[in-house]
Amino acid sequence: MDPVVVVGSGASGVHFALTALRKGHRVTMIDVGHARPMPVNPADSLNGLKQHLEDPARYFLGESFQSLILPGHGSEYYGFPPSKTHVFKECKEFRFQADGFAPLVSFAAGGLAEAWTGGSYPFNDDDLQHFPFSYSELGPFYGEVARRIGLSGENDDLARFFPLHDGIMDPLALDEHSALLLETYRKRSSYLNGQLHSFLGRARLATITRDYAGRKACDYSGRCLWGCPSDSLYTPAVTLRECRTWPTFEYRDGLYADHFRFDLGGRVRTLVALDNRGGTQEFAADRLVLAAGTLCSAGIFLESIRRDSGKCVELRGLMDNRQVLMPFVNLGMLGKRFEARSYQYHQLAIGVRPPVAQDYVHGLVTTLKTALIHPVVQNLPFDLGTSTSLFRNLHAALGLVNINFSDHRREDNHITIEAGPQGRRLLVRYRPAPDEPQRLARMKSHFRKLLWKLNCVAPPPMTHVRPMGASVHYAGVLPMTTTAAPLTCTKECRSNDFENLYFADGTTFPHLPSKNLTFTLMANAIRIAEQAF
Amino acid sequence: MSQSRMERECRVYARYLTGQEVDRYVAGKYAGCHATGRIAEPTEPFDCFLTDVSVRGPLWTRLADAYASRFRKDCVLRKKLVLTLALLECSPATFEYLEGVSSGSRAGALVRMAGDGMLFAAALPLAILLFFPVQLWMTVTGR
Repeated sequence: MDPVVVVGSGASGVHFALTALRKGHRVTMIDVGHARPMPVNPADSLNGLKQHLEDPARYFLGESFQSLILPGHGSEYYGFPPSKTHVFKECKEFRFQADGFAPLVSFAAGGLAEAWTGGSYPFNDDDLQHFPFSYSELGPFYGEVARRIGLSGENDDLARFFPLHDGIMDPLALDEHSALLLETYRKRSSYLNGQLHSFLGRARLATITRDYAGRKACDYSGRCLWGCPSDSLYTPAVTLRECRTWPTFEYRDGLYADHFRFDLGGRVRTLVALDNRGGTQEFAADRLVLAAGTLCSAGIFLESIRRDSGKCVELRGLMDNRQVLMPFVNLGMLGKRFEARSYQYHQLAIGVRPPVAQDYVHGLVTTLKTALIHPVVQNLPFDLGTSTSLFRNLHAALGLVNINFSDHRREDNHITIEAGPQGRRLLVRYRPAPDEPQRLARMKSHFRKLLWKLNCVAPPPMTHVRPMGASVHYAGVLPMTTTAAPLTCTKECRSNDFENLYFADGTTFPHLPSKNLTFTLMANAIRIAEQAF
Repeated sequence: MSQSRMERECRVYARYLTGQEVDRYVAGKYAGCHATGRIAEPTEPFDCFLTDVSVRGPLWTRLADAYASRFRKDCVLRKKLVLTLALLECSPATFEYLEGVSSGSRAGALVRMAGDGMLFAAALPLAILLFFPVQLWMTVTGR
């Protein structure tokens, strides 16, 4: 029998593949697979790198200063470090034109989650209301993901939003600023819970706090953003390595999956991939699993139909989480010095229960520690001398809430394909919901009030609404349904158009809750492999 | 631009931002970044003027930057200053200074910040007084 062919090595692809391998299937994974560089001086802390590297500016800003953020760059508060360049390295075969959307795609081995911040938040029954299954069905797979990747967290006030599942280890040691926020919250929780319907607690993180499955516990080196040198912060490359130890697994990198060929009965026969020398390779597939991320998987699907029928189909319902970045100053931390050896990403999360359960708003609280300061300092409304001096006094008191909003499928947000003289390209169009401005304004005001109660000030001019596409949580163009219809999928994420085609990524999500979806992508990929293979 | 001018820029800007001298490593990287074309030299006459004035010494840098922070946020001078800051925060000799104050109370921090604010409040009107007529003249005469 032909193998199961999986496209993409991101969070979904590797967990689908590992499950299929454990069930006795042969798996061939097709991937462009840009490789990550080896970690530099793995024993050094972040500040150790500044002291010990021969050319630290090259490491932190890049060979050609590509990670230097200059005035006029578009007001993002951080850029990707040179060590993560491979994650967003382009692939010339993937071309697109976007309207109202700034897509980010990855062709790295391990996919976009090679640059994630580890937030692992299970969807609850409210989040899954439009899915054809409930938490009780998905819950065991969250537990399985947690066992595979190692996950830390706590049973606290946020458990009302993030169901507890198996495999959660003790949380990370809190940095001083996060500990102060949590202490203030506990003192004022009755008001915050009762009047503001807001809850603060420990983040659930794919970062291990004890040695686990051959990986070292987090040593608080402060290098999270630059790439955890000890793999304490999980990335899919860890599971890809595990898959590659299976004799029934074949990893074919350097290949761009372009389209599949199918027979008259609607059965996929082969996957056609382009190699980097301009040639093509064809892989016979018993079943084809697209896990290349919503945009790329949709692109393969659309191109396959276009090649067969000449039709440029339109896939509707594209979703993405709107994100708002709200910097704040904690007055209780003024004059203090931060501890450089600490966990870099968010350690706390905020849940806001809205009148409509599905509109739950999810906030990630990151206290500023060892990040580069020049992208932030230049945004202060003073000259750089004053801003630098102010920043030195404020550094330990600064934090950022990343506020995430849910999204739902709308007909006018779509992906299609266009074939022209310069080749073909994906056309992506996105428009926010008409009531979004009011919703954002309401929540910005809500979070400012909430932060004030936590003894923090969030200056309004510093709040930044990120462009659509920036969250990289794309979903929804071939949704799971309970009634079969063209351009939809079954509950097991099998295409209703092709009988042996599956989608293991966000393509099939019928709704996009505000919580980071990566953890659910992994759980759902395991569910598909367990239930349908 | 000459090597010596480049080095002078870097030294003056570092003194303005941190009060510290730069080593050869930072000065070399400063020149190296310009060589990549990441920061193009100013072409607009007023941008050239601001940059030239800023190199006279840290006080002039403060005035030129105060003016730029209000009226020319994305100008070449600001880019050069941000580059200097980025290099200083990566450099073994200066990163600790930029990470934060060494110790102190909340009151101490508030006093220092109030001092910073007053310095800016004093520099900005002076900078406007000095540079606005020049900018106006250059705009009107097209020079």
